[in-house]
Amino acid sequence: MISKEEVTRLAELARLSISPEEVETLQKDISNILSYVGQVNTIAITERKGGDIFPQNIMRPDEVYGPNSPVAGKRDALLAALPEREGDYAVVRKIITKDE
Amino acid sequence: MNNNSSFFSLSEASKALREGSVTSLELTNACLERIAKDNPELNAFLEVFSDATEQAVQADLRRKSGEAHPLLGVPIAVKDNILIEGRHASSASKILEPYIASYDATVIATLKEAGAVLIGRTNMDEFAMGSSTENSAYGVTKNPHDLSRVAGGSSGGSAVAVASGMALGALGSDTGGSVREPASFCGVVGLKPTYGALSRSGLMAMGSSLDQIGTFTKTVSDAELLFTALCKKDPLDSTSIDLSLFPQTPIKKRIGVPRHLLTEGIDPDVAEVFEKTLHTLEKEGYELVDVELPSAGLALAVYYILMPAEVSANLARFDGVRYGLSLTGDSLFEDYAKTRGEGFGPEVRRRIMLGTYVLSAGYYDAYYRKATEARRLIGEELAKALEDVDAIITPTVPSPAFTIGEKSDPISMYLADIFTVTANLTGNPSISIPMGTVMRNEISLPVGIQLTTPHGGEQKLFTIGRDVEAAVL
Repeated sequence: MISKEEVTRLAELARLSISPEEVETLQKDISNILSYVGQVNTIAITERKGGDIFPQNIMRPDEVYGPNSPVAGKRDALLAALPEREGDYAVVRKIITKDE
Repeated sequence: MNNNSSFFSLSEASKALREGSVTSLELTNACLERIAKDNPELNAFLEVFSDATEQAVQADLRRKSGEAHPLLGVPIAVKDNILIEGRHASSASKILEPYIASYDATVIATLKEAGAVLIGRTNMDEFAMGSSTENSAYGVTKNPHDLSRVAGGSSGGSAVAVASGMALGALGSDTGGSVREPASFCGVVGLKPTYGALSRSGLMAMGSSLDQIGTFTKTVSDAELLFTALCKKDPLDSTSIDLSLFPQTPIKKRIGVPRHLLTEGIDPDVAEVFEKTLHTLEKEGYELVDVELPSAGLALAVYYILMPAEVSANLARFDGVRYGLSLTGDSLFEDYAKTRGEGFGPEVRRRIMLGTYVLSAGYYDAYYRKATEARRLIGEELAKALEDVDAIITPTVPSPAFTIGEKSDPISMYLADIFTVTANLTGNPSISIPMGTVMRNEISLPVGIQLTTPHGGEQKLFTIGRDVEAAVL
């Protein structure tokens, strides 16, 4: 069983505000799920070279997108989605403060 | 005919449009009538596009001018996690309630080019996390066969749209069974193509190594039609592949049954329908052989490590700065925590936390690394088993649709995916086809049968799938 402190710490790491009641539910749920998925520990890790089932390191040609590219002209639409905007910039909270 | 045309198969509609015996406007209106009548109860659509009839008029004009794509003028519904430029796309989440898509997903661009009518966006479990569409922030989608039961999920709205004649085909996404499971519950055909066969550009990412866009249709041939139209390598998705590179082998008419996975946990009447279907296939000339998939029993455990890990990384982008909901707290940390804590529903938060746990220092080796190794083993075993047979066959889900609210414990809900997750872990194509019905409280409920073939083996799925369809008629 994971502890309430661990649940609170996970919520911090995941940037999620959770209520005290939810800490208890999550403590129970996450512990149950972890004990279920813990069966993977029956697998022995064997070092093998290659053999991955998916292709690796796919590259695409280093080309400038032209006017006919599917992403052309999408800049304004992407900017329009910003919750808070000044000109072409996203407004974010100031994160650097003076040493006290 | 007009009143029933929303129950046309896609191929029938395509033929009728080509012959001029029906117009896209008539088809679209038939679907819209069905939506007006049944959607208030079923809640399959989050939004019906107000310009659907206008799109249909355009499609009819394009046909008059000589265009003849098989999907021209055919009404298609789209899961709410696939972007359509200029329209809302929320993934059934509060965190994306204000979001308007900035661009078209590649599959949408392809549908528009073909002239399909996009009729609306369908309900789903929030960010595709769930097996019942109960996790939607906008209410549950009900099963058209029994309103007290779930539609399945996460693509529940798309499954219901096709099952109840509100669209002739629909797009969903399948990360662990989210197309095949609702297809099984609603009595339609659900296809999860080979990983990379359909572009994921414009599909909201959940588990990027598992996600694949899939189709809902009434028949296997319809699935083939829609799949063929959408399948192409896309430079905007680095994992998309050229499917023609996979070698095609002739059909042996041999199907593998992993008997050792079917000994427990399956409803007896589902097992009975399954055995009956197998028996009919044997009479059709198929040879059934036992196959061993020794590590497949671990698939669900592996999935519930890798998927949350990818979820926790993918959903980090919802920070209140780039798009969607943005709430303000007393500090930057609180801005994030408040936006995400209030914007995400309970199941999404649970999976993000779980993913954060399995990826954290000290636990990575015990969970993520072991799961990655197990995934490789499962893939190798499946590939080996498929050398000797055309396809592996199982029920899609161990039970018919469960009742709304029945699965309150997360693990009991996760178990609905026990037969479907393997194909996502390994990237193989897989399809669910209605195989018959079982009775619950004097109501007959559909159940599906699942076929899985080697990578790039969609043609085999369609060929054998049509034989399955014929066998259950």
